[in-house]
Amino acid sequence: MPKRTDIKKILIIGSGPIIIGQACEFDYSGSQACKALKEEGYFTILVNSNPATIMTDPEMADATYIEPLTLKTLEKIIEKERPDAILPTLGGQTGLNLAYFLKKEGILEKYNVESIGASIEAISKAEDRELFKVSMQEVGVGIFKSGIARSVREGLEISENIGFPSILRPAYCLGGAGNTIVYNREELEVSLAKALEISPVHQVLVEESVLGWKEIEFEVVRDYADNVIIVTSMENVDPMGIHTGDSMVVAPSQTLSFKEYTDFVNLCRKIIRKIGVTGGANIQFAQNPEDGRIFIIEVNPRLSRSSALASKATGFPIARVAAKLAVGLSLPEVMNQITGKTTSFFEPTIDYCVFKICRFPFEKFSTIQRVIDTSMKAVGEAMSVGRNFKEALNKGIRSMENQRFGFGCDGKDRISDEVLKDPDQNLLEKIKEKIRIPNDERLFYIRYGLKAGLTTEEIYNLSKIDRWFIENMKELIELEEEIKLSNHLNNLSIDLLRKAKENGFSDRQIGFLLNCPEEEVRQLRERNNVRAVYRLVDTCAGEFSSIRPYYYSTYETENESIVSNKKKILILGGGPNRIGQGIEFDYCCCHAAFTLREKNIESIMINCNPETVSTDYDTSDKLYFEPLTVEDVLNVVNLEKPMGAIVQFGGQTPLNIAIPLEKAGVNILGTSPESIDIAEDRERFRQLLHKLALNQAENGTATSYQEAKRIAKEIGYPVIVRPSYVLGGRAMKIVYDEEDLESYMREATEASPEHPILIDKFLEDAIEIDVDAICDGKICVIGGIMEHIEEAGIHSGDSAMVLPPYTLTEEIIQRIREATKMLALELKVKGLLNIQFAVRKNTVYVLEVNPRASRTIPLVSKIIGVPLVKLATKIMLGETLEKLGFTEEKKIQHVSVKESVFPFIRFPGTDPILGPEMRSTGEVMGIGKTFGLAYAKAQLGAGQKLPLKGNVFISVRNEDKRKIVFIAKKLSDLGFKLMATKGTAYVLSQNDLEVEIVPKLYEERPHVIDKIKSGQIDLIINTPQGKATKIDETHIRSTAILYGIPLVTTISGAEATVTGIEALIKRQLEVKSLQEYHSQ
Amino acid sequence: MKTMLLLEDGTEFKGESFGFAGETVGKIIFNTAIVGYQEIITDPTNFGKILCFTYPLIGNYGVNEEFNESERVWVGGLVVKEKASFYSNWQAKLSLEEFLKEKKVVGITCVDTRALTIKIRDDGEMWGIISSEGKSKEELLKRLTDKRKGKESILKEVSVKEIIRFKGKEKRIVVIDLGILKSILRQLHNLGPEVILTPYNTPAKEILKLKPDGVIISNGPEDDIELSKVIDTTKEILGEIPLLGISVGHLIIAQALGARLTKLKVGHRGLNYPIKNKDSFKGEITFQNHSLTIDESSLGEDIKIAERNLNDDSIEKLESEKFKFVSVQYYPLSPGLYEIHPILKEFIEMIKG
Repeated sequence: MPKRTDIKKILIIGSGPIIIGQACEFDYSGSQACKALKEEGYFTILVNSNPATIMTDPEMADATYIEPLTLKTLEKIIEKERPDAILPTLGGQTGLNLAYFLKKEGILEKYNVESIGASIEAISKAEDRELFKVSMQEVGVGIFKSGIARSVREGLEISENIGFPSILRPAYCLGGAGNTIVYNREELEVSLAKALEISPVHQVLVEESVLGWKEIEFEVVRDYADNVIIVTSMENVDPMGIHTGDSMVVAPSQTLSFKEYTDFVNLCRKIIRKIGVTGGANIQFAQNPEDGRIFIIEVNPRLSRSSALASKATGFPIARVAAKLAVGLSLPEVMNQITGKTTSFFEPTIDYCVFKICRFPFEKFSTIQRVIDTSMKAVGEAMSVGRNFKEALNKGIRSMENQRFGFGCDGKDRISDEVLKDPDQNLLEKIKEKIRIPNDERLFYIRYGLKAGLTTEEIYNLSKIDRWFIENMKELIELEEEIKLSNHLNNLSIDLLRKAKENGFSDRQIGFLLNCPEEEVRQLRERNNVRAVYRLVDTCAGEFSSIRPYYYSTYETENESIVSNKKKILILGGGPNRIGQGIEFDYCCCHAAFTLREKNIESIMINCNPETVSTDYDTSDKLYFEPLTVEDVLNVVNLEKPMGAIVQFGGQTPLNIAIPLEKAGVNILGTSPESIDIAEDRERFRQLLHKLALNQAENGTATSYQEAKRIAKEIGYPVIVRPSYVLGGRAMKIVYDEEDLESYMREATEASPEHPILIDKFLEDAIEIDVDAICDGKICVIGGIMEHIEEAGIHSGDSAMVLPPYTLTEEIIQRIREATKMLALELKVKGLLNIQFAVRKNTVYVLEVNPRASRTIPLVSKIIGVPLVKLATKIMLGETLEKLGFTEEKKIQHVSVKESVFPFIRFPGTDPILGPEMRSTGEVMGIGKTFGLAYAKAQLGAGQKLPLKGNVFISVRNEDKRKIVFIAKKLSDLGFKLMATKGTAYVLSQNDLEVEIVPKLYEERPHVIDKIKSGQIDLIINTPQGKATKIDETHIRSTAILYGIPLVTTISGAEATVTGIEALIKRQLEVKSLQEYHSQ
Repeated sequence: MKTMLLLEDGTEFKGESFGFAGETVGKIIFNTAIVGYQEIITDPTNFGKILCFTYPLIGNYGVNEEFNESERVWVGGLVVKEKASFYSNWQAKLSLEEFLKEKKVVGITCVDTRALTIKIRDDGEMWGIISSEGKSKEELLKRLTDKRKGKESILKEVSVKEIIRFKGKEKRIVVIDLGILKSILRQLHNLGPEVILTPYNTPAKEILKLKPDGVIISNGPEDDIELSKVIDTTKEILGEIPLLGISVGHLIIAQALGARLTKLKVGHRGLNYPIKNKDSFKGEITFQNHSLTIDESSLGEDIKIAERNLNDDSIEKLESEKFKFVSVQYYPLSPGLYEIHPILKEFIEMIKG
């Protein structure tokens, strides 16, 4: 069916900031969709609040709106652009929900806009629990006993019929947010109340729990002609009870029989036809491992994290195809670009095993238990490919960059083989518990269990992980023990070495087992020609030759990666997303690839993150889906022999291996690893600043607690302590006294074992500044100067920022500019650099210099309309800024505010205060004429529902009491009613403000928590008491998060919030596309 | 045990013994299905072939004889990348390896099956020998050539030996059994008519005597010298009684009508072949297992090409009102093994008129 001509303009809704459950997979799907629709000649309008995305690059869509994803803004954009259709299936749950509410509010009718890809009916059938139940009954697939609760009372009635345990699933929620397992009536009452609150439609499905069943997923695509294809099956290694986003997953399914597989396929076809999706859908099933009974869990009538994984696992670009199907094309009409011969109407078949493993942020939320369950907690994932499961498993583990180099025996096992040989009862019980209760280290505890003599059956009974996977793990352990028996590398037979490599062992593991450095293992391999070969991800298991495949390594007989004689450059990606390193760096890597293509140089990307645009089949000329370890990268280098490697765009990951790569002869392009080391090494850095006569906060480096104590005393508390070479403020802490320091030193050693601890004087009440600049070694041009809204001491990744600065004098800004240029030239930067400054009492301090792409590069590029990464790439190729025509800092006419988004809701009980350790997962941008407007937009984008009227609860620490008065007065003038705890209320009433005293937690009732819960508070301003945060404060803040009440924890944040509220009350929010901003 | 796979062009693949240790010669084919090893090796169409699975992990979910597509294993040999040393599925009764040993099927594992697949893709299907007997390359090549010369018909082995009746209602269907799959029989059973299986060499007269309302020419081996007999039988009943041809049955009907066959460079063997009606955008993903196809230029008038393969345009479905038949190149199994494929329903409707 030819594409539709009755629609011309299509609005694509993005998914907003990166949050747990909704990460850069939607940038990947949205970008593919933009390209696909442009290809077909449609006018595309894109809206997304997330500036770090490729999709919001001004070239991707015809009109790009970086605006908050709210109904109001969407209506404004629709009113302005008058699209014929919206495509809501590419923006995750956010996009889908927005489309649903646009319809519900009558906005789609009003402007005559059609929802394509998934009609509103289809969305409702999949998302509305009641409609879904009916549809599935009609299809004839088993459904769990369940009922929809709209109140706690209803829930209790339902549970009488279902029994315990049962699962609560709030409707229209993403990534299992709010999903809970309850084991008794009491838990049901408590959890259901919260779940009802979380669901935007106040509906919760109370469902029978099938903990321990198998979880099987299918990715299914359907077109208007009713053709249906299965892209792939996926089997969750972790059974039901763990969110699929947190599970280890294999593709294709490994333990389904043919009959079971075809039964699933048959059900999938019926289900997708029943729901009526045109495009991709993800269908999740639970299967009883004892009798094969199949139940449906859910259908996502849209692109999802799983569909990104399925795309990368098979080579089938689901998002691209889905976008084409949405405009009426049929599967047979869309070509398969991987083979170049066949169409999209076929089912990919693969000849390898794909493994997905997740990365969790538990180290950032130390107060909570490291337990995983039905509410997703992973922040990132890596995909690995092998010719068997064992190889994929080992590669997957080392892709995680958790300092692990395979399934144990890498020198990092918590429990040694010696201890496991004869484990005492306590240890055995601990191991069993760690296997029974899902957690992020379970995989390794299975290893310990096997080593301690637990049988496959015992481990199965504890974990319900299919015996097949456990047996494979056992085979790895057997192989490891065989290697160990060789005792010395010289005695290792080449057959055994080859077998180890075929099963994914890293050189590091083999080296550990045989007591030698990994380099020696590598040399032995090379001498004996045991080398990695590369096979294809080609969608067809080799049945057809392919024109655009991508590659994975294995140890077999034939290498299929043909090396071209073109000039080529390696780009090292960022690996799995984690807090501190995410989509921003992927954006940079993609831009590098685009630039190389422009320059007719072959771009070779290495990355292992299936969610990203950088691992899309057409981003680079050649893609290697590989872990980013020295071994795996060198394997590619040995084959491809690139003229150089770009390491400054992928975040900390490539930088961590830059020096070993350089030692192995890889030409590092741009800023030299030497300069990077000067910037990272405290001592060398201090000398540099001294030479340039720049100020630095007093500091020192300690390798022992005694030394740290001495240095801290000399400098004077409070101090900031942190390990060197880390990203995202990992283990960074403000320390107020010696006791604090001691406990820190005890806990932080794990953060980065090879590097010492850095101690800096904490500059209290300083303003922090981020500068992004570009330098070609001769001149340095400022990209953007951003002023943090929160004071220094709060991680720059978590702080809100304003561009241009809004409180600094021109004189200070000039000093910052000069310092930036001096540092760039002194460090001989070739490419990008980011500098953090602090300004205190008119003194400018240099906090740190990062001679690499920063988290803010995509944002700055979009604000100033200059593709900084592209320029930086060209500089690395030898061009100059002068030649590139970028010699002067851009003056911008509007104000942009970046705001961070936090995952506190996923970690109940965490204190949501800001500090030097980064905890945000994503960011949004607001652009406006004034600071207030931009800030308000940023807040809306970040999901803070800034109130325009109502009650404000204020409780601040003593130091802030003076400053809060002005803020409170302004709020009062704007019509808000003030509530405060006794101390704060006293100060406010002394200043002629009317204020209601609200009791603290242990005073009387109703206290502040009661008021939050009963919806009497609309905004909370609560600054933490310095060192030890009081328990009831934590309770107030975590309750605010749970109930979605806007929470401000700094005075500067409160000032900005008030300005934002004022702007919202007094002015209209306007929408404007990036293209319009740039053409000004 | 060290085992070798040697191709007729002298290419060697070293591996380990899998299943029965011994020697086997056959034409090498590859199948791209990621699941279904048991069903594929018990498909009579694969009689005597050395089968290479492109999916590298074989045997994961074990074997249960309930899922056999016929009474025995037909493949002459098996080539896999990694045999599962452990199987896991609630229905599994024994491991694939035990099954192969029991059925005396020779296999080889630890082979770079992707390299083998690409070789066959690029150079065409060829013969090979698997041997775990430690013979020299020359000797194996000689044995390969000797074995290859013998061209005995295998139809008598895959077909029923005598007429077999399955009770049913209303209509009566005769199946000329060239090695029909159990899953097709099961669908026919579920559709309800009486089904009579006849040996491949049953003369047309005998078939007509059974007074069938319709005749099905089943799937089976496609390169057998005795097939000419079935073609002759078909010529006699074409136009008399409604006919359904499945896979090789489809080729037989075409030949009975004077068409020629050509050989695909690479056979269609797997679960993911797209077919499409040329007048619509609607198609189907089908299961296939064949190397021969109909030469379109030799096709006579009054025969309609109803569906084609979307990858290579080859003919997938023929129909003719004049000759009262419909035939498909693919296996009518795709909607799920226990569901009835539309083509079978269509045929029953045709019979009912």
